[in-house]
Amino acid sequence: MKYSLVLRYALCILALIVLAPAAVLVALHMPAFGEQLPAYGATVNAHVPYMRQATNVVTAIIFDVRGVDTLGEEFIFVAAITGLAVLLRGGRGEDASRKPIHTDGRWLPARSEAVALLIRWMLPATVAFSIYVMAHGQLTPGGGFQAGAMLASALLLLFLGDGYRSWRQVTPPTVMHVLEALGAVGCVGVGLLPLALGAGFLENVLPQGQPKSLTGGGLIPLFNVAVGMAITGGFANALVEFLEETREPEAEGEQ
Amino acid sequence: MLLRLLPWLAAAWLMAVGIYGMVTSRHYVHLIGCLSVVQSGTYVLLLAIGFVWHSGPPIFYDHPPGTPAVDPVMQALVLTDVVVGAAVSALLLALALQLHKRRNTLDPQELEPIP
Repeated sequence: MKYSLVLRYALCILALIVLAPAAVLVALHMPAFGEQLPAYGATVNAHVPYMRQATNVVTAIIFDVRGVDTLGEEFIFVAAITGLAVLLRGGRGEDASRKPIHTDGRWLPARSEAVALLIRWMLPATVAFSIYVMAHGQLTPGGGFQAGAMLASALLLLFLGDGYRSWRQVTPPTVMHVLEALGAVGCVGVGLLPLALGAGFLENVLPQGQPKSLTGGGLIPLFNVAVGMAITGGFANALVEFLEETREPEAEGEQ
Repeated sequence: MLLRLLPWLAAAWLMAVGIYGMVTSRHYVHLIGCLSVVQSGTYVLLLAIGFVWHSGPPIFYDHPPGTPAVDPVMQALVLTDVVVGAAVSALLLALALQLHKRRNTLDPQELEPIP
C-alpha cells in the first residue's frame, strides 16, 4: 500500500476533526491584542532588571528565570545534532581533500576573486561581531544562541570564499566536537556550581556585579558562554556533515 | 478592529498554508520547508500574545527599568522555538538525504512502507 493522496487527505481531515474544536475554543478565549501585559511578563519586567543587573530581560529569562527549560532545550539541540551526525556519518568526505561530486551537465563555475577578497574582509568582522553579541548577551539584544549560530555561519563564509579544503582546515571536526561537548558539559556545570555553594540547582547566587557591565548578572554570562560554545560546535558539526555529502564517495573497502 | 485581528489571522493563515503544503507535498525538502512555515505561524502567535501597544522592547539599556515594555517571556519562548526548529529541520533534512540514498526518491507518495 502506498501513501496515496486520498489517504493523506483522510488522515489530515481526521486530525482536524479531533483537534479543531480545541483550537476554536482557545481562539475564542484569546486575550485582546495589545491591551494588557500578561502577569508573568509584567512581574519579570518589573523585578528582574533590579535583581540581576541584566538589562536584556529576555536573556535573563532564558538563562536565569527559566534556566532549567534552557538546559532541556540545549540537550534537545545536542540530541538533534547527534542524530544528524549518526545519519550522515561515514562513507563520504572524511578526508578534507576529496573532490566534489561531478554531475553531468552541471557546470562548476570557478570562484570569483572578488568574492574571495570580500569574504576575507567580511569574515573577521563577522567573527568579531558574533563574539560581541555573545559577550553582551545580558545587556543588549543577543546571547549565546544567536551568537553560536552566527559564528558557525561566519566560518561557513570561508567555504564560500576559499573553498572546501580551507574551510575544513579551520573547522576540524575534532575541535568542533570538543567545543560542542564542552558547551553541553558547561551548561550542566553552571547548574551544579550553586549546589557546591549550598544553594539550589541553577540558583543565581554569584555576586551580581555592576549594572551594564559584561560580568553583571552572576551565573548568566557563564551559562550564556557555555550555550554559545555548544551551539557553535553543534551547528559547525551539522554543516560539516552536510557538506561532506557533496564530496565524492570513498572507494569501497577503504574503510 | 481589523488591525486587532490581523496578528491572529496572520498566524492562522501561516499555519493553514503550511499544513496544506505538508499534506499535498510531493517532495520531502518542500515538506520540511512547509513545516518551517507552520512554525513561523507559532512565532507570530507568540509575539502577538506578548505585544502591548505603546511599549518598547524588554531591554532596559537605553531607557530605565519601569518603562512600558512588551512581554519578555514570549520572546524567550520564540527564541527557544527558533533554535529547536533549526535543529529539527537539520535532522529532518539529514533523514531526507538518507532516504534519497536508500530509495532513490524524495516523493512521499512513491514510498512503500517498510515491511
